[in-house]
Amino acid sequence: MTDQIAIHTEGLTKHYGDVKALVDLDLDIAQGEVFGFLGPNGAGKTTMIRTILDEIRPTSGKASILGMDSHVHSVEIRNHIGYLPGDLAMYPSLTGRDTLTYFANLRGGVDWDFVGTLAERLDADLDKKVGDLSSGNRQKVGLIQAFMNKPDVLIMDEPSSGLDPLVQREFQTMMREVASDGRTVFLSSHTLSEVQRAADRVGIIRHGKLIAVEGVAELRSKAIRTVNLFFAAPVDAAVFEPLPGVREVDVENHHVTLSFDGQMETLLKVVTDSYGLLDITTQEADLEEIFLTYYEEVGA
Amino acid sequence: MLANVFTKTIRDRWRATAIAVAALTVMLLLAMWVYSSFDFTFYDDLPEAFRSLMNIPDNADAGSLAVGVLLGLYGSFTLAGLAISMGSASIAGEEKAGTIGILLGNPKSRNQVLVSKMSSMVLLAAIGIAVLWMATYVVATMLNVELGTMQVGAYSLHMVASVVFYGMLALAIGAWTGSRGMASGVSAGLMVVGFIAVGVFPLIEGWENVAKVFPWYYFDGSDPMNNGVSLGHMSILVGATAALAAAAFVGVNRRDLKGHAVGTTILDRLRANPFTQKAVDKLAGSTRVSHIWIKTASEHQGLLIIVAYVMFFVMGLLMGPLYSLMDTTLLEYTDQLPEEMWAFVGASGGEMATAEGFYEVEVFGLTVPIAVMVVSITMGARALAGEEANRTMGLLLANPIPRRKVVIEKTYAMVALTLSVGFATWAGVWAGSLLGGLGMNPLNIAAASLLGSLVGLVFGALALALSAAIGRVRVAASAAVGVAVVAYMINSIAILNDTVEGIAAFTPFDYYLTSDPLNNGMNWGHGAVLLAAFVVLAAAAVFLFDRRDLRQSG
Repeated sequence: MTDQIAIHTEGLTKHYGDVKALVDLDLDIAQGEVFGFLGPNGAGKTTMIRTILDEIRPTSGKASILGMDSHVHSVEIRNHIGYLPGDLAMYPSLTGRDTLTYFANLRGGVDWDFVGTLAERLDADLDKKVGDLSSGNRQKVGLIQAFMNKPDVLIMDEPSSGLDPLVQREFQTMMREVASDGRTVFLSSHTLSEVQRAADRVGIIRHGKLIAVEGVAELRSKAIRTVNLFFAAPVDAAVFEPLPGVREVDVENHHVTLSFDGQMETLLKVVTDSYGLLDITTQEADLEEIFLTYYEEVGA
Repeated sequence: MLANVFTKTIRDRWRATAIAVAALTVMLLLAMWVYSSFDFTFYDDLPEAFRSLMNIPDNADAGSLAVGVLLGLYGSFTLAGLAISMGSASIAGEEKAGTIGILLGNPKSRNQVLVSKMSSMVLLAAIGIAVLWMATYVVATMLNVELGTMQVGAYSLHMVASVVFYGMLALAIGAWTGSRGMASGVSAGLMVVGFIAVGVFPLIEGWENVAKVFPWYYFDGSDPMNNGVSLGHMSILVGATAALAAAAFVGVNRRDLKGHAVGTTILDRLRANPFTQKAVDKLAGSTRVSHIWIKTASEHQGLLIIVAYVMFFVMGLLMGPLYSLMDTTLLEYTDQLPEEMWAFVGASGGEMATAEGFYEVEVFGLTVPIAVMVVSITMGARALAGEEANRTMGLLLANPIPRRKVVIEKTYAMVALTLSVGFATWAGVWAGSLLGGLGMNPLNIAAASLLGSLVGLVFGALALALSAAIGRVRVAASAAVGVAVVAYMINSIAILNDTVEGIAAFTPFDYYLTSDPLNNGMNWGHGAVLLAAFVVLAAAAVFLFDRRDLRQSG
C-alpha cells in the first residue's frame, strides 16, 4: 500500500428530491488498497459509485480519482479504471468475446493474451451469447471486462454475485494480486464474508451516511466474541449480567452462552474462582456481528 | 380466468388506448371542422363505379368523410396496432422479459394465463372503439354536422372484429413461436399489405377478387357505414379469430417456453460452421463491434430488412406493373377530385392518371413517411434511453469515451438506416417504373425519397433529443410519433384553412411533397431546411445528454 490517494470524496452528497441517497461522504482510499464498502441494500453504495464515475452528478461536494476531478476529467479517469456494475447487464445477442472486443475497441485495444489468461482462471465461456449464459457465467464475462485493461483502480459493485465458491476463491486471489501490484480495488458488497477475506479496510454506509471506516484487523480486535461456558452445576444468569463487557447472557442448565467484548481475564477470574468450570470455547466474531453492532449502536 | 393477470394487463395497457382514443377524437373534431366548410356537390358528377371504388358514400358530406378517414384509416390502424402490441406481448413478451417463469410458477395453467391475456386484449379494443363511436356523435353534435343515415355503430362493430383479428393473429404467432418480433412484424405486415391490396386490386380489371384474400377486405369491403353489418363478412372475421385463438391454445401448450435465452440465428449457425466461420466471424463478430454506430445499426437490422423489403418490393417494384394494368379511364376521374380531398392521405394532388401522381398518392403520401419514421423514431428513442433501460449505459460509459461520442455515433446509425429505407424506396420505385414501362425520372424519384428520408430524420432526431433529455424510450417514441401525427394533420389541412396554413410552414411535411419532387426534381431549399432542423435537434440531444444523470433502469 502506498500513501497516494486513489479515490477521494469530500462532502459528497446526492439527493433525489426528498430522498437523501448520499449525505456528506468524506472518504480517502489509498493506492494499493483493497477497500470494502459495506452496507445493506439501498444504503447508498451504488449511488456513491455512480457519482464518482460521473454517471450521476452530486448535489454538492466533489470526488476525485487518482487526483483527477470525477466530472471535469471523467474521460481521462476512465482510461485508468475497470468497472463492474452491480446487477450486471450486457448485450444479449453478442458472444462473450464480441462483448469484450467491443469494449476493447472503445479502449483502443487490450492485451488479448491476458484476456485469455483471465478467461482460463475464471473458467469463462466466451463463445456463447451473453443472453444464453447463466447469471454466474455472465458475471465472469463482466469480471474479465473489468480486469482486462489492467486498471489502476478497479471499482466493483457486488462482484461475487452468482459465482460458485471455487471461482469466488480465484476472484479473491485476483483482487489480492491487483493490490500487490500497487493498484486499488474498491469493492462494494453486502456479502460480509467476501469483504472479510479480501479487504484491508472497510467502510460501512447506512442511509447514505458513512458510519465508520476501519481496518478489518482493528474491527476484529475490538469485536464481540461468543463465549460458551460449561459448568458442573446449573448457574444463574444474574452472576454474569453485571460483569463488564457482557452484552447478552443465555443460560441453559449447565451451559452459558455470552456475547462478550470485555477483558477475558476478568471473566475467567470470576468463573474459575466461584463455579466449577468444566470447559470453555470462544468464537471469533465475524464481520456480520460487528456490522450488526454498528447498526444497532451507531446507526439507530 | 386469472382475475389478477387480466386486471394487471388492463392496468398496464389502458393508458395507451385512452391516449389513442383521445387523440383520435381531437383529430375527428379537427377533420369535421375543416370538412364542414367544404362544398360536396361535385360528388354527384362522379360516376357510380368510381364513387364505390373510392368508398365515397352517397350524399357524401363532412360527417361521412371525416368519420371515414378518422375511423377507417387512422382509427383502425392505431387500435389494431395497439391490439397487435398486446397480442405479441401476451406470451412471447413475457418470455422475452423473462417473467413467464415466475408467472407460471403460480398454480395456474398456461391456458388460464392465455384466456386472461386474450380477454384483456378484446375488452380494451372493444372499449376503445365504443368510446370512439360515442365520441363521433358527441363531436358531430358539437359542430352541428349531420351524420344522417351513416351507420357508425355497424362500422364500429366491423372495426372491433378487424382489430381483434390482428391482435389475435399476433397472440397466436407469439404463442407458437415465442418470438415477439415475429408476432408483431407478421401481423402488422399483413395489415399494411392488406390495406394496400384492398385499395389497389379492385382497380385492376379481372383481379378484383384478389382483394378478398386479405382480412382487411372483411373490415370495410362491404361498406358497413352505408350498408350496415354484413353478417357474412363478420362471420369470416369472427370465425378466423376463433380459429387463431384455438391455434394459440395448441401452440402455447405444445412447446417449451423460452427463458431469457436468445435465439439462434442463421448467422450463428454459419459462425459455428468451420467452412464459413472465418468470413462470418469477421462480419458478425469483429466488424459488428468495431464501432458504436455499426453495433447500433446491426441491432436494428431486422427492422431495416422488413421495412426496406416492404418499400422495395411491395410499395416500389410491385406498384409499377400493377399501375400499368389499371383502368386508367377510371383513374382519370381522380382529376375531378379537389385537391383538398387528397389532403388527408398526405398527397398534394389527385392526378392518379399519371404514374407520378399515382406513386405520390399510394406510396410517397403516407407510406414513405411511416416507413422512414418507423426506423428513425425507433432508433432515436432507443439510442440512449434503450441502453439505460437495458442497464448497459453504465458499462458503455465506463470506457474512456465522452457522452457526446455515444450520441453522435448513435445518430450516425440512425442516419445510415433511415437513408437505407430511402434508398430501398428509390430503387423499388425506379425498378417498378422500368418494369411497368412508366418512364419515371430516377433523379426525381431520388429527390422524393431523399426528402422523405430527411423528414424521417427530423422526427428521429426529435425522438433522440427526447431520449437524451428524459431517458425513457416509450415517452420519447410516443411524443415523437404524437408530434409527427399532429404535424402531418396540420400540413394536410393547411390548404383548407388560412389560419392553419401559417402554422404549416413550421412542420417538416411542408418541405416534403409541396414542391412536387416526383415531377419537378429536388428542391434544395426544402432539403436544406429539413437538414438544418435535423442538425439542430441532434445538437440538442448532445447538449441535453451531457447534462443529466443517467437512469439506472427504464
